[in-house]
Amino acid sequence: MNEEQGLPPELPDILKILSKSISSVPIGQNLYLWENIVFSLLVIAVLSFVAYRATRKPTLVPGRLQNAVEVIVGGLDDFVCGILGPKGRKYVPFIGTLFVYIFTMNMIGLIPFLKSPTASWSTTLALALCVFVYVQYTAVKELGIGGYLDHLAGQPRGAMAYTVIMPVFIFFLHVIAELIRPLSLSLRLRSNVWGDELLLAVLSGFGLGGLPLLVFNMAMAVLMGIVQTVVFCILTTIYFALVLSHEHEPTAAISEK
Amino acid sequence: MELLKMLSTSEIVAQIISFLLLFFLLRIFAWNKVLALLDARREKIAAEFREIEEVKAEVAKIKADYEAQLAAIDQTAARKIQEAVIAAKQVSEDIRKQAHGEAERIIRSGRESAQFELSKTKEVLKNEIVDLVIKTVKGVIGETLTGEQDERMIEEFLQKIEKAE
Repeated sequence: MNEEQGLPPELPDILKILSKSISSVPIGQNLYLWENIVFSLLVIAVLSFVAYRATRKPTLVPGRLQNAVEVIVGGLDDFVCGILGPKGRKYVPFIGTLFVYIFTMNMIGLIPFLKSPTASWSTTLALALCVFVYVQYTAVKELGIGGYLDHLAGQPRGAMAYTVIMPVFIFFLHVIAELIRPLSLSLRLRSNVWGDELLLAVLSGFGLGGLPLLVFNMAMAVLMGIVQTVVFCILTTIYFALVLSHEHEPTAAISEK
Repeated sequence: MELLKMLSTSEIVAQIISFLLLFFLLRIFAWNKVLALLDARREKIAAEFREIEEVKAEVAKIKADYEAQLAAIDQTAARKIQEAVIAAKQVSEDIRKQAHGEAERIIRSGRESAQFELSKTKEVLKNEIVDLVIKTVKGVIGETLTGEQDERMIEEFLQKIEKAE
């Protein structure tokens, strides 16, 4: 359908097929427009169900499902607290949710007739905006408005503290960098997932002859899905670390003296 | 601008709401519960390790006490053995001295007895010699000597015997 319209090829998913088959009904014609939301909700439902089942009757000696969830939660806790320190525990739910959500959305594109919602820029931008807002909120909450503006003007300044131009210049640079972060975060993830889906769609058009290549690229897509999830979450954690690190500076300065 | 056409405001809003929904659901079902559980388990394990360390320290203390007691017992035993050896040596020395004294006494008694027997034998022998001399003289001269003669002759004879000895 896309190729006929001059658009890049796409693998058919259940909603596109359904939309085609019930195109006579008004809702059916626009059903595929909401496919990313529908698949996102499917991911949410699956993750919530798994989390609910795993922690319904938690025990100190865990069962298989609880054990698997504990491994993921414990691993993410170590990951976040490893970068942010003990205060990072507060941000584990946010970053951990991003991790499992993005990873699952990346992976469901590999299941036939399903689609990765992360192949859509709207999805990844929505997640990046959530990160942006939460990081800014954290920065203002932890540093105060004045402290945050001071942070944006660049620290430590040294001799530059006596100039006006340089702090103002750095302030605008930081503001631009902050605003670009959601774009870079979202486009990196979206482009990688979309590129993989595109490649799989092209390879699936080769028929049986392209099967080995398709299988190889599916394996690569799994690897890419993991890597992109980790990259997104590491960057998010680093954004938090950058606004939280100022709290430790006086102590560090004292210890240096 | 072409890039921006890929975006849909309604989809962005819906995705934000979806993410926040998942965030709150997982916060309730997973993060709070599991992190609390992990903390509880970590604390339990740490407490058990602490307890094990305490028990190990106690066992080490008991072992040290036991070894100290064993060492004290060994010392006591060695001292007692030493004392017993000294006592045994003393007893042995006493017995040896006693035996030595007894032997000296027996030897002395034996010597006295021998001396007495010797004197007695000498006396008997003397009397027998006297009798024999009297008989011999009687036989040679054919008569019996008087008491005074006998005594004089016997005295002379005995003096000769003593000189000969």
